[in-house]
Amino acid sequence: MPGATLSPWTMSYFSAACLFLVIGQGMMAAGYGYPAADVHAPVTLAVVHILAIGWLGLLMVGALLQFVPVLVAAPLRGRRLALPALGFLILGLLLLVGGFAALAGVEGMSPGLLPFGGLLLVTGFGLVTIMIAATLFAARPLPLPARFIAVGLGALVATILVGAIFTLVLSGAVTHDAAIALVLDAVPLHAALGLAGWLSFTAIGVSYRLLPMFMLAPDEPRATSRAVWWTGAAALALVIACVTAIALGGAAVKWALALAALFAVFAVVLYSTDLVLLFRARRRKSVELNIRASYAAFAALFFAAVLFALPTTRSAAGEGAAAIVYLFVFGWLTGLGLAQLYKIVPFLTWLEYYGPVLGRAAVPRVQDLVEEKRAGVWLCLYYGAVAAATLSLFTDSPAVFRIALVAQFGATVGLIVELVRARALSMVAPPMRYPAGAPSSISFFRSLDHRSNQ
Amino acid sequence: MSEATNEAVRDAIRDALRTIIDPEIGQNIVDLGLIYEVAVDDCGIAQVTMTTTTKGCPASEYLKEAVRNCVWYVPGVEYAEVRLTYEPAWTPEMMSA
Repeated sequence: MPGATLSPWTMSYFSAACLFLVIGQGMMAAGYGYPAADVHAPVTLAVVHILAIGWLGLLMVGALLQFVPVLVAAPLRGRRLALPALGFLILGLLLLVGGFAALAGVEGMSPGLLPFGGLLLVTGFGLVTIMIAATLFAARPLPLPARFIAVGLGALVATILVGAIFTLVLSGAVTHDAAIALVLDAVPLHAALGLAGWLSFTAIGVSYRLLPMFMLAPDEPRATSRAVWWTGAAALALVIACVTAIALGGAAVKWALALAALFAVFAVVLYSTDLVLLFRARRRKSVELNIRASYAAFAALFFAAVLFALPTTRSAAGEGAAAIVYLFVFGWLTGLGLAQLYKIVPFLTWLEYYGPVLGRAAVPRVQDLVEEKRAGVWLCLYYGAVAAATLSLFTDSPAVFRIALVAQFGATVGLIVELVRARALSMVAPPMRYPAGAPSSISFFRSLDHRSNQ
Repeated sequence: MSEATNEAVRDAIRDALRTIIDPEIGQNIVDLGLIYEVAVDDCGIAQVTMTTTTKGCPASEYLKEAVRNCVWYVPGVEYAEVRLTYEPAWTPEMMSA
């Protein structure tokens, strides 16, 4: 059966990602990084990369290893690279953070760690790119969701290469004018490529496939969906062109960046239209918590785009439009990530544990592995805290921001505990929890596929 | 087996398959419209043509194996063959419940 695979290492990526999310948010709640420090301060950069690479990056890679084969109905190429890639990424991130710590004045660390971290991250993401790109290449012509991922991979490569140059400059290993110009002028573009290009564009593509699946809605590509791809891809191409111009000794062309921003906002508006149409066309009238929570994330994306598009709110958002970036990272990307983890972890757990005995014994539904009411409370607290934190950044209220961060951190930990409980089958009623013939145990770090991984 | 007997076995197979749920949607695979065809010949050989909601879904092989196991134990079935197809592709309109 083509494509019928259960990615053995996806759960490992998810576990590591959740750990980094807790560490990153815990550091923020403890007062590390912006707004207590400058946006460009090394401690802020450390927190940002723990969240962007450790949490969002690993989460996205883990999800892609599982879902790209579903999107293209073909097996993952080079699947043996998944574990080494995870090792490179984690080690690379730790070295990168160590390098930032050195820049912040922490004793025992050296800025020389930065390029080594960059090298390992390039290697890790390079392996991931090889796996995903080879799978996509072999499955041409690609369906629309997969084409989003292809563009997202391009943005990932650009992000990582620019980031690697940054590490060389910040460590003092390279003093070339063009490289220094990149550090001075291209940091926002590096962030845009990573957060909007790699993470958001890929997430949008996957959502075009997953949402119809979860809501039982028609999934034929719409003209608006194609327009999202074209405008988003055009925006990313313009950003990459500006980065190239800076690297070649020129400067980013302002009108090109303004046009890219316009395209990006237009793509978000079109995407929001698609989301509303999908929701209205669903056959599953009572949607599950992961869908409701995902739509809260979509709302955050829409509001972030609107706030970014309006000059008054963009200038009121603080240094580097911090309030809008916060809403984008925690409302949209992290909110969507947590919402989908709440579906994917029980689903993979169900497949591993109950798949082998399906048809031979009574088994629970995937929904029976979770307790939506309790998780719903955590998700409400999470989104409420994100909204409060965003507002506090707009109003420059550090005390409120800190309280909101603590609440957000608590909600995140609560949700992760719910994921652990689902993985441990602790919510399944005893008569069906351990049917005869099911595996004797289940790992928190690796999936066991009793059929398709053979 | 007579035609009436075959019909009864086919009905029994469909009833048995209602015990199998699609893990994601939580409904049985018959009412979801995932069972395209059930045929039983005079020798008791049952042939089931089925699909899954998503091509390439990691649950596909488990569902196919579950259907084969389930059909095998229906009285009157001597042998069970299950074919997975995506022609036509499943759509939500195929649901009967």
